Amino acid sequence: MPFLAVLFDSVNAALLAEKLLKEEGVPFKLIPVPKSLSSDCGVCIRIDADDEARAVDALGKKVRIQAVRPLP
Amino acid sequence: MAHIVDARGLACPQPVILTKKALSDNSVIEVLVDDTAAFQNVKRLAASLGCTVEEAREGSVFRLRITRGGTCALAEGVISREGPVVLVMSSVNMGRGDDVLGTVLVKSFLHTLTEISERPDVVIFLNSGVKLAVEGSEVLDDVKALADAGVRILACGTCLNYFGLKEQLGAGVVSNMYDIAHTMLTAGRLVQV
Repeated sequence: MPFLAVLFDSVNAALLAEKLLKEEGVPFKLIPVPKSLSSDCGVCIRIDADDEARAVDALGKKVRIQAVRPLP
Repeated sequence: MAHIVDARGLACPQPVILTKKALSDNSVIEVLVDDTAAFQNVKRLAASLGCTVEEAREGSVFRLRITRGGTCALAEGVISREGPVVLVMSSVNMGRGDDVLGTVLVKSFLHTLTEISERPDVVIFLNSGVKLAVEGSEVLDDVKALADAGVRILACGTCLNYFGLKEQLGAGVVSNMYDIAHTMLTAGRLVQV
């Protein structure tokens, strides 16, 4: 299954996103940002491509998503 | 002409040690082994060092032709001493200073280990570090991936017992202080996280 990387501006935003996704039961994994992508904070959240809408919805307005990119 | 390492009849880890040594002095070597475990271990060593391996079997003898590549760790002088590379995860966090950040770092670190070519030969989990290798750990899949890639995973039995987690170990084996001390003291390099 293809994965997406959800990128954030800060580690704190990634941590908040972890908490929100846990609450919503969206499967995810905190991983380092792949070298081919770039973000300010070095860690991102990996989700299944199928869960993109659910994840974006769960994060809502509570945490700013910098970008969502396909993972190589 | 490739440098020949004749490791037939030798018990592990001797073939691995000889291979590592030969690779630090030669860019192409041929290793002869007559034992399946030794064959697998030498092959794994070469792969973990980023070398290319061609294998052939002649009767009961395995012949591995190992070529150091551009990414070969030995060629870059990253791994030069004999003996396994041992990684010690002695806490559920990475580094000291902030536990929340330490959790982020440990997840990032263990996931990275599964993706890069430089792998430890052994990972020892001890003190609260054992919590990383038990059922329910958020990094258990990474620890399992390392185990599947041939990395020996040792979890401190005393520590699992202390936390009441002995039955929950999700990867590797329950180890004791004799094994742990021996592994640490015979390491080529010891990396403490």
